Amino acid sequence: MPSAATVTRLLGQGLDYVAAAKRLGISPGTAYLIRTGVPADGGDTVAGARRELLLSHSQLLVQPNSHNPTEHAEVMAWLRDRALGDPQMQAAAWETR
Amino acid sequence: MGFREWIGSWPVYRQLTGTDRAGKAAAARSAASRALSARTRTADKVVKSICPYCAVGCAQNVFVKDDKVVHVEGDPDSPVSRGRLCPKGAATLQLTTGSGRRTGVLYRAPKATEWQEIDLDTAMAMVTERVIETRRRTWEAELDGSRTNRTMGIASLGGATLDNEENYLIKKLLTALGVVQVENQARVCHSSTVIGLGTSFGRGGATTFMQDLQHSDCIVIEGSNFAECHPVGFQWVMEAKARGAKVIHVDPRFTRTSAMADLHVPLRAGTDIAFLGGIINHVLQTESYFRDYVLDYTNAATIVGEEFQDTEDLDGLFSGFDQDTRHYAFDSWSYEGTTVAPASGQRDRTPGRRIDSDFAETGVGEGQGSGGVALGGDRPHRDETLRHPRCVLQILKRHFSRYTPEMVRDVCGIPRETFEEVCADLVANSGPERTSEFVYAVGWTQHTTGSQFIRAASVLQLLLGNIGRPGGGIQALRGHASIQGSSDIPTLFNLLPGYIPMPYAHHGQDLREFVEADAAKKGFWAEMESYVVSLLKAWWGPAATPENQFCFDYLPRLTGSHAHYDTVLEQIAGRCKGYFLMGENPAVGSANAKMQRLGMANLEWLVVRDFNLTESATWWRDGPEIETGELRTEDIDTEVFFFPAAAHTEKAGSFTNTNRMLQWHHEAVEPSGDCRSDLWFMYHLGVRIREQLADSTDEIDRPVRELTWDYPTQGENREPVAEAVLAEINGWNHDGDPLSSYTQLRPDGSTACGCWIYCGVYAEGVNQAARRKPATEQDWIASEWAWAWPANRRILYNRASARPDGTPWSERKKLVWWDAEAGCWTGYDTPDFEADKSPDYRPDPEATGVAALSGVDPFIMQADGKGWLFVPAGISDGPLPAHYEPQDSPFPNILYRQQRNPARLLYPHEHNRYQPAGTTNGSQVYPFVVTTYRLTEHFTAGGMSRWTPYLAELQPEAFCEVSPELAVTQGLRNGEWATIITPRNAIEARVLVTDRMTPLRVHGRIVEQIGLPYHWGPNGLSTGDAANELSSISLDPSAHIQEVKAFGADIRPGRRPRGPALPELVRSYQLLAGITSETGTEV
Repeated sequence: MPSAATVTRLLGQGLDYVAAAKRLGISPGTAYLIRTGVPADGGDTVAGARRELLLSHSQLLVQPNSHNPTEHAEVMAWLRDRALGDPQMQAAAWETR
Repeated sequence: MGFREWIGSWPVYRQLTGTDRAGKAAAARSAASRALSARTRTADKVVKSICPYCAVGCAQNVFVKDDKVVHVEGDPDSPVSRGRLCPKGAATLQLTTGSGRRTGVLYRAPKATEWQEIDLDTAMAMVTERVIETRRRTWEAELDGSRTNRTMGIASLGGATLDNEENYLIKKLLTALGVVQVENQARVCHSSTVIGLGTSFGRGGATTFMQDLQHSDCIVIEGSNFAECHPVGFQWVMEAKARGAKVIHVDPRFTRTSAMADLHVPLRAGTDIAFLGGIINHVLQTESYFRDYVLDYTNAATIVGEEFQDTEDLDGLFSGFDQDTRHYAFDSWSYEGTTVAPASGQRDRTPGRRIDSDFAETGVGEGQGSGGVALGGDRPHRDETLRHPRCVLQILKRHFSRYTPEMVRDVCGIPRETFEEVCADLVANSGPERTSEFVYAVGWTQHTTGSQFIRAASVLQLLLGNIGRPGGGIQALRGHASIQGSSDIPTLFNLLPGYIPMPYAHHGQDLREFVEADAAKKGFWAEMESYVVSLLKAWWGPAATPENQFCFDYLPRLTGSHAHYDTVLEQIAGRCKGYFLMGENPAVGSANAKMQRLGMANLEWLVVRDFNLTESATWWRDGPEIETGELRTEDIDTEVFFFPAAAHTEKAGSFTNTNRMLQWHHEAVEPSGDCRSDLWFMYHLGVRIREQLADSTDEIDRPVRELTWDYPTQGENREPVAEAVLAEINGWNHDGDPLSSYTQLRPDGSTACGCWIYCGVYAEGVNQAARRKPATEQDWIASEWAWAWPANRRILYNRASARPDGTPWSERKKLVWWDAEAGCWTGYDTPDFEADKSPDYRPDPEATGVAALSGVDPFIMQADGKGWLFVPAGISDGPLPAHYEPQDSPFPNILYRQQRNPARLLYPHEHNRYQPAGTTNGSQVYPFVVTTYRLTEHFTAGGMSRWTPYLAELQPEAFCEVSPELAVTQGLRNGEWATIITPRNAIEARVLVTDRMTPLRVHGRIVEQIGLPYHWGPNGLSTGDAANELSSISLDPSAHIQEVKAFGADIRPGRRPRGPALPELVRSYQLLAGITSETGTEV
């Protein structure tokens, strides 16, 4: 198993955790754990000041296929259809212009 | 393999010879463990979700492989839960994937003794036909000359476990069909919260949010077992404690919350107003209140009219009480020089209008959910010296003067020194530099005076200056994933989305009159017309025009209370014939479970949508009345349809958590078999009904035919796109652009919006509820995680966190403040105030609407901009809290001659008898006090936990908690059986003898209390009698919530009788106590 110093050295060379892990033959999450002592998924052992060791979106190192869409093109088109299909709404908006 | 390689493969060898001597790292690996990989690692995707149990709203990661959910765990990015899940949340994998889940539709024909399987399409067609036929047959165009345009033949119950989008479609479709009896768990859990908080502050939701608990200097948890019922949220109490906060737990039982508190204060169940009143009295008598805050931000200086008489004058009654109707006329409670809108619970009683005696007397309860009571007339008169004998502060002083430490001791059973310690802690931890917070749950709400419990805490927190400030506030802990949402988008009879009241028949109002009757002249509620018209445009689209008052007449009219318990009586009377149960299990979960089942036994048809065959689905076959012989399966005509429901991982939608925060959960997998979301069910039911009525020329069908119901669908099941429903809820303008704020809404039809308080949740076409910026990337407010109403504010009324001049009260407690240079309010949270309204702004006397609020009016939804210590209208049983004994109490009320809440709602019935009170002969037959509660491992009426093996194993059967002293006097033995009897019924439970139950000295004698978890029923893996067999239907008059947290009972060793002997036992107790139909119904 690579040491923390090894992972640190690779990161120092400009590699990210994914690339460093690939070079070392381990998973990115494992590389993160070795380097920081903190599980990348922010598991329940992380508390207090140690939480600050968690990188932004460190979960992605162990859960790369995260699914959280926030936009929906079909919904926007549907809203437009509803607005344009409402003559009274269009007329009221026209009157206030 | 050589020897060295072979021996080196042994973990123990490597442990002994290598550097990993503890065997915690590389040495522990073996060939077998190397071949293993976590199922989280091999998952195809990780879908972001939200726990479907309580309303803390813990975020979940749902791991999916090969289109199956393989793992569920906490999402550490959440600022609320920080990756944690409680036992229920951790068991959601089994909830969603368990083999015990039903996946097929079942049908029980009239008088049949067994289920039969039918296909989903046939079942949908049958239900469609039942709805159309029942609606037409029971259609009521008018009642006593007033137009009603409705059916009383159909009712619906459930919604708090469902998504906001599902609640929206339920309310929208059923309202268009003319169904007014639409209710959900919010009625039986937290309806009194909306009354108590809404009348006090202007909004009915918790004033703060979970993470802010960490900033509190003193936390009083009362009416809640926070640590066990909302375990993940409790971490923020522990954060506060770690920072030095004092934690106080006031509860009849010693629980895990008590164990983590600095002080546990046991009290007699149902006496919290006496306790809180004692603290209020202490604060007033010692002048420990936060004077500057009280003077500027509350109505303490406002002068009340001369006609007002207090309980001090009338020995427990306020002025305006009518002994015959049991109602208060609130006119005498008004501020001097103003008129007010009707009281909450009585909004059908508009001032100056005659009340038709044929109409029920009560109605709207939660109308102050997001807007205070309207005030008319002049600006209220004030005395800034606070010395006027009729100013609110002086009235308060007089009203609470009898709530002395001695009275607290005698009523609540709390020793004087303990009471004084609580007073001292609260006073010491309130003021410019420090704040205290109150946390409660249904231990406060479920009483015949539940709304006033919340009011009492509100009065106290206003006096101490703890509202709108970090670490302060009142935290209402709600118990269903979206029970806040099902109030905001109400599957409640008396409300339209955004707390707009449903119209009443006998008012005969048109849209203009409707708005004028309810809209405040001042504050944001003055914009009510924009909210109403935009809602009508969302529902009826192009059909809604100014010429037809935007289809205002398509709304069915109310004629009184059509709340959950009224519907049960309607069912028993045979007037309500069809019933939808959507994720709610009233056969064990509602008060007086027998009455619930008898109501269902009198239906023509019943639709149950749930994960499993709950007691509400099977009562006709194996309910308690079948065993006792009171019902016979072969005689029951009710058709029963069981539709299996989709789990939260099988559908998309939003839950609104206990702090008004909408969080989106995505669909991880398609539901299996016939399982479908309630969104799917309501949408396709609507499609089928509209197809059947497409050619109808009957006017009653016009609201259904013209309803906007063209939601896009997706997938093989043609699931409606939940984001589209959310977008409709959010609202849009004439270009179809999503609106970003309710201030953009217009009364002319140029905007549409399904729920004005949720306007902004789809701003800029982005699902704001799905935002998941990790907590570690944000400040403690975490405003980019999901979205909270109103306007993404997390601490309500936060203008009050600054002095009147706009500077923070203290550096330690700063939250928002006035930036004079920039000319706007700024700070950590979104200001709950007009951004550019200067603290120096004073309105013109003639100003109306928002402009009428001054720069020192933090409670912007109130008509006068102030926090209300005294409520001149909006609550049915008095402008101030007063202690009354519970409906079934073995003690007299020693505070007043008035024993019980005079305005409480009673439903006398042969199966709903009440016990003699206090010193009345016969009360000694039920000498003990029962209090019901929830466990960590089970959920409400059990539908989401008793079928889950993990959870059932942790809490395998019903039990009751008794003290060692009670065990001795009653001959109860730990682990054996006890029978508990009330005037309604008798149940059995395993006995748990524990010191956690504390005998208390009350009224000079020792009272024993019995703790009774209420999750059980006869079905599922973990079984037992339901606590609600024992409870009565006796209700808070404002909220129509039942009293189940305190009632009298007897307990004796052994199992309850079986068969007809059970009702005979109950009857024998009634005879012994001398109970008649009149008992307990005295004013």
